[in-house]
Amino acid sequence: MSAALPIPVIQLLQVLTVALGAPAITGVIAKVEARLQGRRGPRVLQPYYDLYKLCRKEALAPEQASWFFLAAPVIAVAAYLTIPLLIPVLTTYGLPLGYMGDILGGGFLLSLASFVVATAALETGSPYAQLGSSRAKTFSAITEPVVLFVVFTVALLTGTDLPYALAATVRSSAGQVIRPAHLLASAALFMVILHETGRIPVETHTGTNEFGMIEEARSFEHSGPYFALLKWGSELKQLILFTILADVFVVPWGLASSQRLGAVALAIVALLAKATAVGCVVAVIDNSFAKLRLFKITEYVSAAFLLAVLGVFTLYRGGG
Amino acid sequence: MVQPPGIYQGAANVIAALMLLLEFGMLRQALVRDQVRLYAAQSALLSVLAVVIAADRNLPDLYALAALSAALKVVAVPLVLRRLLRTDDSDEPAGVAGSYTLNPASAVLASIGLAAFGFFTFGAFHLNGPAAPALALAIAGAMVFVAFGLMIVRHDVASQAVGFFSLENAISLAALVVAAGLPLILETAILFDLLVAVVVFGMLIRAHHSRAESMSTGDLTRLRG
Repeated sequence: MSAALPIPVIQLLQVLTVALGAPAITGVIAKVEARLQGRRGPRVLQPYYDLYKLCRKEALAPEQASWFFLAAPVIAVAAYLTIPLLIPVLTTYGLPLGYMGDILGGGFLLSLASFVVATAALETGSPYAQLGSSRAKTFSAITEPVVLFVVFTVALLTGTDLPYALAATVRSSAGQVIRPAHLLASAALFMVILHETGRIPVETHTGTNEFGMIEEARSFEHSGPYFALLKWGSELKQLILFTILADVFVVPWGLASSQRLGAVALAIVALLAKATAVGCVVAVIDNSFAKLRLFKITEYVSAAFLLAVLGVFTLYRGGG
Repeated sequence: MVQPPGIYQGAANVIAALMLLLEFGMLRQALVRDQVRLYAAQSALLSVLAVVIAADRNLPDLYALAALSAALKVVAVPLVLRRLLRTDDSDEPAGVAGSYTLNPASAVLASIGLAAFGFFTFGAFHLNGPAAPALALAIAGAMVFVAFGLMIVRHDVASQAVGFFSLENAISLAALVVAAGLPLILETAILFDLLVAVVVFGMLIRAHHSRAESMSTGDLTRLRG
């Protein structure tokens, strides 16, 4: 049929799909959200225009800030672009660089990116940026146990902690899907993703209202291309988390099982379709629940923690 | 690697896990109206579980039990509870919202500890049945303890009644997975015991409300001459 692609090209395509697709997913979510609120909303391609516009603007840095302030966005985007090498984005089989790191490796890269951005925000001396980074670190510390328990579930289900192995396990039989451990872990991960991408329970995704600002506040002092990198970074993070949810936990179908061009192209379309579907669900959830007060966040996280812990429990009795 | 137990067994386990989650939902729900709604949902899941087990093990009288249980616990008991709790001016009686002794996040964390205790003690029973229901039974054990937790952390009579009724759901779940083939007449008798409990709790709630003008049991600590 169609020509077989060399492995390195497929590996590169994983990164390019995430890198180029991420702003589109953000655009779709913004559009769906606007339609749900009865507005016409921005064009789906608007995030690309925003990035292009920011790239042509002047970059300024606060006087006291060191070189790190400008390096942070670059490091963060580099970390985000490494993660698609580690997770199943397009293929069911592991690519050579895919075994560089397991789920924890991906988690470390996500935390590294968030850490450098928070540190850069601290450097500025601006109260809002500092508030954002302090909140982001506090709340990521309380969501960390949930992620750990999700990883434990994966480890108990598959005997490894490679994302490829879990996706293969879920695909292997319907009995693997309809088991409490898998469903509870997926639900817990979804709740963490809602929190991490700034949807629920307190943050307003695009707002400038400081009561609910966590991640968005950190980039206040960046400008020009550096701000564009930060925006792109948060779009990348969103698509990466959606990919992990869809391709590893919930619907690991539609991935290419061979190196043929047609199969890989289909996998790219399938990935974007799945991410769009997850995005629509997220937009509906975002629109149908009231935001909580900032310190109610522990109630939300305790619910996610409950799901993750029960997921691990069930594996210890009767095969969960 | 932990092997999955199969589709029917998996579905039964998922339903049991959902019932446990609803129990936690009742624990953190502020208003008794929502607690009653969650109780109805939990009872509906119990009926669904009875249907799943009936289909799996080919026990036709479980369908009858499922229908009877749904009629009683999904429709009748919530209706009676809502009628009992309605006061002249509002649907939500005074003294229920905010009757927490722990804040919701701490209550959930503490109850995870209780659930772990119930889960692993009930799970330690070694049953050798045709379809050994170890997980669903362990979940029922966790539910029993979370229901006790709910009755302990909330100091209002309405939540305590809901906690007691959901405790009965937990016991029914355990009975269903361990002894699904129990004669129908016996299971129905257990179900009707619940009605007695509803009547007794209803009288207690009314008596308490007429004395204290509130659902809170905090007023009972004051001596009255």
